[in-house]
Order: sequence, then structure tokens, then C-alpha cells
Amino acid sequence: MPVPRLSLIAFACAALMAAGCDGPQHGAVIERPAAAPPLELQTLDGGSFRLADQAGDVVLLYFGYTHCPDVCPTVLADWARARRLLGAKAADVKFVFVSVDPARDSPEVAHAYAMQFDSSFVGLSGPEAAIDRIKRDWGFAAFPEGDTRANDYGVAHPASTYVVDRQGRLRVLYHPGVIVEDLASDLRKLL
Amino acid sequence: MTLLAACGRVAADAPGDNPLASHAGWTRTADSGATAAVYFMLTNRGSVADTLKGVSSAEANTVGMHVSMQQGRMMQMAPVTALPVPAEDSVAFQPLGAHVMLTGLRRPLVEGDTIAVKLEFGSGRTLEVRAGVRRP
Ligand SMILES: [Cu+2]
Repeated sequence: MPVPRLSLIAFACAALMAAGCDGPQHGAVIERPAAAPPLELQTLDGGSFRLADQAGDVVLLYFGYTHCPDVCPTVLADWARARRLLGAKAADVKFVFVSVDPARDSPEVAHAYAMQFDSSFVGLSGPEAAIDRIKRDWGFAAFPEGDTRANDYGVAHPASTYVVDRQGRLRVLYHPGVIVEDLASDLRKLL
Repeated sequence: MTLLAACGRVAADAPGDNPLASHAGWTRTADSGATAAVYFMLTNRGSVADTLKGVSSAEANTVGMHVSMQQGRMMQMAPVTALPVPAEDSVAFQPLGAHVMLTGLRRPLVEGDTIAVKLEFGSGRTLEVRAGVRRP
């Protein structure tokens, strides 16, 4: 006997609600979120940024490089627009750009770059060993493309924005072309 | 008479007239020495396909055509040496896709400035793209 269409829809809704209709709806939502890998880098004021210390805030992370002509500025400009859409709630969201090109990006350069998009943004870099450790802990590669002697080489880097929730769990990945309104609406649900 | 003269098709078919045009060119503010991407819409109003073969600009030490591509979980860029521009069609240079890349900017790009990029085509035609500088 064919199942009436309506009850199928009802079932789908129930399943969605069980999964949490209140959670993020866009991007690649991680089904069983676990603690995000560690991330710690020195900041310009002599302190350090520790991801583990950010509990209570939602943290967006992008691993890129400041010589990136297209993708990184597109992502950071979209972040800035999403942040404006959040209004006062943006105070509980941290937007963090991490350079995977430590040879050219000092912590100063990385931070100045991130701040061009929004003065609240954090830009981080560090010694090559520290960046290598992050790549290992987070399980991604990042490597120069082209002749590194020329100083105008590109760097292959992860495509996605990683979002860590207020409990420090890696929750959602967004591809670079995510619609800003969708990103903002998801962030609101995580707050 | 006036109406006929204003018709784009008639103008495009006139001998010596360039069927290639660009509009909506823009780039982001950037520091001297930095890297920038130039975006624009390229239109071929002619009835013959062409190929974009070269890009140049006085604004940067190196100028090239690139396309950003997602490869698995990674974001990479590939150089483009020839880009087909079909007849009566448009090609978009846009974020996360094709762009003219300026490496080693010779001056800071300030909001409100306009920069020029020269395009060279297989047909021998050239086109100057003008791109306004916007805040990121
Ligand atoms: Cu490029």
C-alpha cells in the first residue's frame, strides 16, 4: 500500500525536529559534534589566543593567507557582512583568520589584514612549527603553489570556514560561497 | 534616424568597431605590494567568437589570469592562458571564479580610485577594463 505523501512529510519534519530544527541549517553540519582540535598562537600584545579559552563564544575560523587575491578576501568580506547582520549579538562571535603562510605573514601582517575587513576581526600567524602543528591537529594540508622564491606564489588552503560552538565543539563547515544571510541566520541559532 | 543610430547591434556591426566591451569592473582596496583580484563582466556583442589571451596592467609587477577552484576540501588557483569568449555572450570575472590577478601592487589602491587592465585577444583586438576600487 502506498504511503500517503502527507505522512511522509510529517515524518520528515519529526526527524528534523529530533535532529534539532533549532540548530544550524546551512553548510555541512556535523552530526555528532566533538571538541574542536586545539589551536593556540601568540597574539601581538604578548598574550596568546587559545581556542579552548573561547568557551561561551561562537568562533569562526578561516585558514588562509594574506596574499590570497580572491577566496580569502571574499570569505572575510562575507564574514564582515554577516557580523553586521547579527547586530548586538555579534559581541558573542569571534571571527578569526589564521595564516597558513607563515613565511610571508607575520602575526602583525595577519592581524592588520584581518582588521581591514572588520576592526573586531582577529588575525593570527606564528612560527612555521606552530602552523604545522595546527595543520596536523586539524587534519588539513596547506602548501605553496608555484615558485616560492618569487614572493608572489599562491597557497592551497582549506576551502571551508570552520565554526566552533559556545561549548568548544566543531559544529559546522561553510564553503566559501555561502549566502551571507544563511550564515548569519545559522550563527544566531548557535548563540 | 536617431533611433537607428542608437541601436547597439548596428553600432557593433560597423567596420572597425570593437564588439568586445567590459562593464562593472571592480577591485578591493589594497596596500602597496599586496595582491589584488580584478573582477568585471566581459561581453562579446559580435557574431564571431574570440579568445582572451593576455592581460597586463601598469599597476602591478605581475599580472595574470587565474581561476579559483575547490579541489576536494582545498581551495586552489590555476593559471589560465586562454579563455574563450563566445559570440553574442558574456564571461563573468567574479569572486570565487575567474579573476585578473595583480601581484606586487605598485601603489596602494584607495577607495574611489580607478585602475586599468588591458586585455588582448586572439583576434588582435584589445580592450581596456576600468575597475573601481571598493572597500573589501
Ligand atoms: Cu589568482
